[in-house]
Amino acid sequence: MNNTNHNIESPKEKQNRHKAMEAIKLLNTLREDFKAPISSMGYFYDLFERVHCKHESLHDDKTKIGTMCIQIPSEIIYALDGIPIRLCNGFYTDDEIGSDFMPQKACPLIKATVGHFASGNFTDKPDIVFSPTTCDQKTKAGTTIESFGYKLIDVDFPRTKESEASREYWRRSVKQFAVELSKFQGKKLTKNNLKDAIKKIGYAQLLYHKLSEFRKNEIVPILGMDVFLVTNAFFFDKIDNWIEATEKLLSELEIRAREKITVTGKASPRIIYTGSPPIFPNYKIPQIIEESDGIIVADETCSSNRMFNDMVAVDEWNIYDMMDSISDKYLKACTCPIFTKNEDRIRRVIQLAREYKADGVIYQAFAGCTVYEMEQRSVLEAMEKEGIPILYLESDYSPSQGGQLSTRVEAFIESLKTRRRNKK
Amino acid sequence: MNLIRFRFWFQIIAFALIVYGGYVGLDLGDKLPTFACVFNSEGTGGKCYVGMLQHDLKNPFETFMGFAGYAFLVSLIMFMVWFWVLNKSWCGFVCPLGTMQDWLTKLREKLKIRFSEYSWASRGNIKSIKYILLILLLIIPVMISNSILGLPKLPNGLSMPFCDICPGRMLIPAFTGNFNQFYIDFSSKTDLAMTTLGMIIVGLFLVGSFIKKRFFCYFCPMAALQYIFSEPAFLKLYKNGTKCTRCGDCYRACDMDILEIADDVTNKNLVTEDCILCLKCIAACPEDGCLEANFMGKTIFESTKEGFILRMAMNKQRESHE
Amino acid sequence: MKYFAGIDIGSTAIKISIVDENKNLIGSKISASGSMFYKYAQETLDALISELGFNNNDIVYIVATGYGRKLYKEADENISEITANAIGARAAASEFGEIKTIINIGGQDSKAISLDSEGNVVNFAMNDRCAAGTGKFLDVVALKLEMDVNMLGEYHFRSKGTPLSVSSTCAVFAESEIIGLLGNDHSIEDIVCGVHYSIAKRIVKLVKRVGIKEGIYFDGGPALNDGLVNAIENEIGQRIFVPKHPQITTSFGAAIMGVDSYNYENS
Repeated sequence: MNNTNHNIESPKEKQNRHKAMEAIKLLNTLREDFKAPISSMGYFYDLFERVHCKHESLHDDKTKIGTMCIQIPSEIIYALDGIPIRLCNGFYTDDEIGSDFMPQKACPLIKATVGHFASGNFTDKPDIVFSPTTCDQKTKAGTTIESFGYKLIDVDFPRTKESEASREYWRRSVKQFAVELSKFQGKKLTKNNLKDAIKKIGYAQLLYHKLSEFRKNEIVPILGMDVFLVTNAFFFDKIDNWIEATEKLLSELEIRAREKITVTGKASPRIIYTGSPPIFPNYKIPQIIEESDGIIVADETCSSNRMFNDMVAVDEWNIYDMMDSISDKYLKACTCPIFTKNEDRIRRVIQLAREYKADGVIYQAFAGCTVYEMEQRSVLEAMEKEGIPILYLESDYSPSQGGQLSTRVEAFIESLKTRRRNKK
Repeated sequence: MNLIRFRFWFQIIAFALIVYGGYVGLDLGDKLPTFACVFNSEGTGGKCYVGMLQHDLKNPFETFMGFAGYAFLVSLIMFMVWFWVLNKSWCGFVCPLGTMQDWLTKLREKLKIRFSEYSWASRGNIKSIKYILLILLLIIPVMISNSILGLPKLPNGLSMPFCDICPGRMLIPAFTGNFNQFYIDFSSKTDLAMTTLGMIIVGLFLVGSFIKKRFFCYFCPMAALQYIFSEPAFLKLYKNGTKCTRCGDCYRACDMDILEIADDVTNKNLVTEDCILCLKCIAACPEDGCLEANFMGKTIFESTKEGFILRMAMNKQRESHE
Repeated sequence: MKYFAGIDIGSTAIKISIVDENKNLIGSKISASGSMFYKYAQETLDALISELGFNNNDIVYIVATGYGRKLYKEADENISEITANAIGARAAASEFGEIKTIINIGGQDSKAISLDSEGNVVNFAMNDRCAAGTGKFLDVVALKLEMDVNMLGEYHFRSKGTPLSVSSTCAVFAESEIIGLLGNDHSIEDIVCGVHYSIAKRIVKLVKRVGIKEGIYFDGGPALNDGLVNAIENEIGQRIFVPKHPQITTSFGAAIMGVDSYNYENS
């Protein structure tokens, strides 16, 4: 006979539980499975646990401005007293929900983001969403998200960045964005609030650069996954708390660097990670890399390096120049593959490989991501020319691919070790 | 080093030396690669080479083949040597016309008025104007003393053709209280035309450099003349393209809107024809060792992340505003 | 005498090779993986050891490879099957010449590996998502045609005329396609030949991803199928070297790796 007394979970409860499971699995791995854990990382582990397992909201008192991608200037949002929340999503649970609304072969990141919106289950629900017209799928997902009842505004982003027209176009877009947000918040941009915002974000970027310096050492004191976690926290954490926690992390890393405490083996190959962004908790491939005795010393992804790499420089501290400086930096320095030409991205990867003395590059594209898949060819050719070994992987959010990915990663790391041995 | 502050004071001192140096007996000669006006007869600390050049060329061929030609070469060589010491930073740090424009820019900034920019197409189109002016100021004096290709000689009123239209002639003496150069000369048709043109150009200079940073420098024949000799100069602006992320911060700082400083990642020498070597680009670059000012092989000022942070005041000073 | 074992735990079969200190192959054994990899691997190893007349202590170093390599915790080391395959191929083909390209068709995957002149892996490509072009496909075909997999080679060479095209991208759908071909009165020989060429074309596409370099080695269970070898040679346009025991190349490579690791540790 059927048991009619058992409780059937509501979709929301199920989603929360599954997401909490995904989150805690990764956090426990980070806490326990690697050598020499860092105590100041505790803040970040706890932060993700609080948000995803205990469903704590962080920004009850402020308007939450949802953003997609990295092109929406956070400086302007902070200046207008909003909290920027980057909504790019890494949960397989949300990916499954989103697959009802998106084509089968769509990028898992977009599916997960759409799924999250569809479920409406946010701890910090965005009051308005700004979506730049970057890749096709992000662009078109906008109307789907709107259909769920969210207020979404498109921000025109150009697909080229070399021409005068594209630069003017983006400057206008940013001005329009500021106007819209200003109207929404009922506040105005002033010289002082914009200046303060630029300086604050600049300071956060400086902290990231200081953090990266430690990874240039021969003895690396922090895991690549931990750094991804720190940068992912910036998506949604209170910026002052993030700054404070990162400062503490830096002090601890100073000590570790002095005492030569390492998180790797003796001859772990140093890897540059590039491609589709690893967003919490989809750290599948970084985890495989670091569990296979590799160490990620730098990355070229939009959930980490790209957000912090380039700082805004202002010549005349008046609103018109600050706005233009912000626009120019967000466009010109951007190495997203949605542009027609990707020279800047290739140069950045090569420069990172040199500066961080990398042994190899791992290029990961989500299955269904046209732009990263298409760029693979030119990046592979460029790396071959420079003599930098590179591995190309495709993945998605499903938990089942482990064996296939680990074989490839391990074979690559083994070949890097052989190469190193032969050089000596 | 706070470049902006350093440059501000350097420009004031240079301005004082050039405009008032004569009062204390300073005479740096008349081959200076910067505007220093002979019409500021009492105060000037030297004279600009453009004036000298027009004077030297106003000679019949015969004398030119002899003593005058020899003198011309000596002047030119002295000019080149003066020039090579600072390269185009004569424009960015010393030239009083440049300094005046920078002061007007500061005034505009204080008034929170937006500056104006050229479209890329316009910038391309106006590049040749300074060379045309240079050629004219070279040919006209020659054509006063000689008949070229059967054309009649030009009237004497056209001697010192550039000085007639140069805003320096009117503005530099003004700083010593001498406003006599602001006049229109009705004595002959040529004089009328040239001095009227001069007044118009002074007006354009003042208005133009108020709304566009270093407006005049795009048209300056001194810049054209200097650029021809720029390659062997001692002071250089070098770029290490591999470190450049093309973020455009240097372009934002550049008064002359030089795109190449941000977009060119192959060339090492980035002193382009418009460059005034003000070094603001180096101060605005956040990458270590990407841009540098190099004097005879030695790096004297380099872009660093630390320097950038200090200049943009992004090191944490204030408490949170939330 | 010291002996070294390489255990290749694949999804279909477990292969074990034992070499001596001079890296000579002493013996090998193959058994089905079944569902309890670990237990069967241990049993097979024990059986091989007793067949060769040793006891367990004679084996001083064990290297595991293949999908199940992490399950066999008794191993002293585990390496990816790509690295192991490369080492094994170089050693097995030493009289043939310098191997630079390896084609491996396993029970459920296929690989192409590219080596440099020292025998180091420089590039590799894998097809491990789809059974078309793997040993599984041949099993399905043989079953449908009601014959033993070992007979496929013989039937291939009896085919006359151009090979039929068997175009399904999925091994399961290929079953239906074969029924259709049989229904249209095509001979079994022609169908078998067509299947071989279909696999060969897929393999050549895979190899092109790493570059076809001279000195081609083919291993894995399906390499015993002469007909398949013939089809691949024709598609790739070059002779390929097939070892006497193609299933054990990877485990052979693992065992050789064991010798080096043991010597390095004890130096």
